[in-house]
Amino acid sequence: MAIFNLQKREIECKIVYYGPGRCGKTTNLDYIYNKFKKQVQGEMVSINTEGDRTLFFDFLPIGIGKIKGCEVKVQLFTVPGQVQYSSTRKLVLKGVDGVVFVADSLEVRREKNLLSLKDLQQNLKEYGLSISKIPLVLQYNKRDLADEGLPIMSIEQMEKDLNRQLKVPSFPGAAIKGDGVGKTLQECLKLTLINLQKELKWAD
Amino acid sequence: MGLKETIKATLKEAELYKSQGLLNEARQKYNKVAQLIENNAQIPNSKSLLDSVKKKMKALDDSHLRVVSAPTTPVMSEKAQNLIKELFTFSKDSDKASLALEGAISLAKFGQYHRAIEEFKKLLSDENVRIAAAKNIIKCYYEFVSIDKAVDEYRAWKSSSLFSPVQLEKVLGFLAGLIEKSGKSFDLDKVEESAETVLMPDEAVEEILDISSVGISLEKGVKSGSEIELDVSFQAGNVISVIISSKEKELIDNLKIGVKLNNVNFYSPIAIFRGSGIISASTKIDSGPKKGDYCLDIKVTNI
Repeated sequence: MAIFNLQKREIECKIVYYGPGRCGKTTNLDYIYNKFKKQVQGEMVSINTEGDRTLFFDFLPIGIGKIKGCEVKVQLFTVPGQVQYSSTRKLVLKGVDGVVFVADSLEVRREKNLLSLKDLQQNLKEYGLSISKIPLVLQYNKRDLADEGLPIMSIEQMEKDLNRQLKVPSFPGAAIKGDGVGKTLQECLKLTLINLQKELKWAD
Repeated sequence: MGLKETIKATLKEAELYKSQGLLNEARQKYNKVAQLIENNAQIPNSKSLLDSVKKKMKALDDSHLRVVSAPTTPVMSEKAQNLIKELFTFSKDSDKASLALEGAISLAKFGQYHRAIEEFKKLLSDENVRIAAAKNIIKCYYEFVSIDKAVDEYRAWKSSSLFSPVQLEKVLGFLAGLIEKSGKSFDLDKVEESAETVLMPDEAVEEILDISSVGISLEKGVKSGSEIELDVSFQAGNVISVIISSKEKELIDNLKIGVKLNNVNFYSPIAIFRGSGIISASTKIDSGPKKGDYCLDIKVTNI
């Protein structure tokens, strides 16, 4: 539910990072906060619990400059990944314009990825949104852990598991090193703004 | 891979999962290592190795316990609470009170009930959001403190003059639902409307048509059951005035201030409406041709 301020020629949209617990959603935002200083428009707020787990959400406001004469502001959010915080995830998802689904490449987390994607689909549905229509990008995170000797899934397998029907853009990532973080966000922003342009027709 | 290498690799895997915060996965790997050691007693220093793995398992279990027993709704800083209000208030064109109400509801949803209650209480002074704020206070107490506290709060409101009877009735209806859910029972009287309170503005009857006469059915006395028709001499909003002859002594005695009239026919020039009312004033006429008669004000409470 983007806000379009016609007088100020300003548009504000909301992108939510979704995914299972410990998949690297906060790490994505941390990297953006630390490396994209020019775009960051305020402090990153993280509300964590024991073990550095996101309790409610992380929030990071960024600005990406003017597009067709309109200042574009973006609110980046993460949801808590742990299963028990389902109601909080739904709250954070309210008013979402675009979603980055961060999947964990570790083999042992395969089922958690699937459950989380299903949870996303269900929560979007409850807001009258469709997972196949909302701007969505997948990130297959933690690719770097293969170097440590941990068994990870192949990209093909992850595509088959998560993206067979959706057919949305997907990127390998190692958020801890920043790999794929920028590309993922950039693609999600692109899809979101195209979608908003269609809805709000601000750039006509 | 030999046994030694398998143990080393599995231990490394466990440590990596632990560093990723994947405690269950790490625990499974430590279990595997422990089993391998137990099944292969010939391993040099197997006992001390097993002890060391068990220590790691214990530390992991402690971490896991801390995670699962961490409070799910800790009190956040004021700054974080303000951010929640700002980020989760979606109405853009609402009035100030409605926006404040939405902000307070967001705080409650994120478990920040102390601050939420504070903010709801401030909103009780606003007629437009009073009932919604009151219901939310009741809900917060029910969810985060106890149903007893919610009932106490309602009782305090009932003995104050802030709420009109109609408003209190609505809040009571909401509270009753929560009491039922809680499985407890409380002695809560129905809200009595008094002559002092019935004239307070409320949302019960906003606009009603002109009423030319009313038909009242008395519930006791000689005339009980039969309808008595009375002409309306004056109407101001939802309060109508009727004149009762001094000869109708039984009627005058029955229609005292505060008496509820449950089955009233309101006759307007275009239709008859069934509804209810309450006697809000009774005045003996002291002069003029109607001297000795009574002027009764009936407040229409439902039509």
